[in-house]
Amino acid sequence: MTDHRLLKGGPVRASILEDVAAYIVDQKPTGRLVSIMIGDTPEVAVYIRNQAKAAARVGLGFEEQTWPADLTQDQCKARIQVMNDDPTVLGIILQRPVPDHINVRSLQSAIHPLKDVEGMNPASIGNIVYNDVALAPCTASAAVELIHATGLTMEGLEVVIIGHSEIVGKPVAMMLMAEGATVTVCHHMTRSVAMHSRRADVVVVAVGKAHLIGPDMVKPGAAVIDIGINQTDDGIVGDVDTDAVLDVAGWVTPVPGGVGPVTVAILLRNAITAHQRQLQAGWLA
Amino acid sequence: MTATVIDGKEFAARVRAQVADHVAKLKADHGITAGLAVILVGEDPASEVYVAAKHRQTVEVGMASFEHRMPADVSEEDLFALIDQLNADPTVHGILCQFPVPKHLNERRVVARIDPAKDVDGLSVVNAGLLASGEKGLVSCTPLGCLMLLRDQLGNMSGKEAVVIGRSNLFGKPMAQLLLQESCTVTIAHSRTKNLEEVCRRADILVAAVGRAEMVQGDWVKPGATVIDVGITRIPHPDKPGKTKLLGDVHYASAAEVANAITPVPGGVGPMTIACLLANTLTATCRAHGLEEPEGLTA
Repeated sequence: MTDHRLLKGGPVRASILEDVAAYIVDQKPTGRLVSIMIGDTPEVAVYIRNQAKAAARVGLGFEEQTWPADLTQDQCKARIQVMNDDPTVLGIILQRPVPDHINVRSLQSAIHPLKDVEGMNPASIGNIVYNDVALAPCTASAAVELIHATGLTMEGLEVVIIGHSEIVGKPVAMMLMAEGATVTVCHHMTRSVAMHSRRADVVVVAVGKAHLIGPDMVKPGAAVIDIGINQTDDGIVGDVDTDAVLDVAGWVTPVPGGVGPVTVAILLRNAITAHQRQLQAGWLA
Repeated sequence: MTATVIDGKEFAARVRAQVADHVAKLKADHGITAGLAVILVGEDPASEVYVAAKHRQTVEVGMASFEHRMPADVSEEDLFALIDQLNADPTVHGILCQFPVPKHLNERRVVARIDPAKDVDGLSVVNAGLLASGEKGLVSCTPLGCLMLLRDQLGNMSGKEAVVIGRSNLFGKPMAQLLLQESCTVTIAHSRTKNLEEVCRRADILVAAVGRAEMVQGDWVKPGATVIDVGITRIPHPDKPGKTKLLGDVHYASAAEVANAITPVPGGVGPMTIACLLANTLTATCRAHGLEEPEGLTA
């Protein structure tokens, strides 16, 4: 029997990819996405494979580059600048982790905002703060899409975000606040997370602690978006004790199979947004 | 209980003195004169007053003050040419375009033209993004001023419940980011918030910035809270015909009965804004020359 309270990523992902594919058929962007892996980091391979597969599905070019681990910061930056100027590169994905001697934030800043399909450039983050949310970090955007899939409208709702990371917690806070939610951001120094989560209509959790959120921390009927990915003896689990919370919550995203699959679809949607903006900027004929 | 009055005027004077000391040191040790350029477009009378105050205080702390006036019908092209010239000028460390600008100009485009390293108002998208990313940038002056007052009053704010009322780009959003950086649990309330009073009553730190005179009543304030009032509404003076009076967003008399500390209006947050503009200009100067930044003047 299907449990309608389990908010799965699959259908949301499929619908986004369909829209992206339709745009690509219509607009025929000729540029490709370039994935950069610096040094050999096998743990990234599965992510790249997923991105490549999704790009192929929507008909977008995808190039995998592996750069030598001993490139200097300046050499990496120079290579990125060449891509910024290359009209056949639609968007740049910088896979993480990078070698220790590389300052990843500085490299992300080197990616031109109009090619920043991961939404990691400070200018992209700043745009989100200023309510221009078109190129948001993929995971944050995926969380917001899943919340939209519940049909809830944010105006006047209480949203509690647990975890204040730069790429998830804070952008999600800004995006939902722009939609009219009253947002509270909790983190490891918060005195009583439960006190906040229990009054929330929507809980977004991204801290990386297996099963941190139990049923006693959730208001009946709330939407619970689980962004945690934790490797345990029982396999991969989220930050939410999904089975137990399902009894109380209105919606819970599963892990795996919730936010994760949507994230890749958002990356491709960001690519077409980048294409639109490059057209507007007069970069593309 | 009657709350401690947080004297922003006195604190701003201390900040300016600290800035002046450091400016003198830069001059003596490195031969560097910190410089702030202000662009004024048109002849808005309120803007004239602000620009004059900024000029006076800039000179008082020993910085070079450059004023650039442009006619109200200046083209975007000409304004951008001036900004480009100031961006390239090594004697200019901070650039500020006084807002509002005439309607044919787009404020966001104007701010975006300023080199983020010289954007001492901290309003550019890049600086907003750097703040949200927890990285070094330049922070909008009024929230930075509130942060300084709070640090002075409370020291460590870790784990405290903070509520910011108002979600503007200019204040509410950067203020919330700063409080998060201090490890507060932060709620941003606004016009759509339900049960605003209840939300406010949770706050150990309550920051009001909505521009509605005396909206926050004493019974909205948690006993012992620290209250920062950013609102300024000018009303006709009740007792002196022809005169005006400034009111904050907080009903001061009733809130002061409950709070542990509170900023008055006027004389609270207001004087901190220009002091922080000078602090930002000093910070930008140090960074431009690869010198160490003074302590306590940045986020």
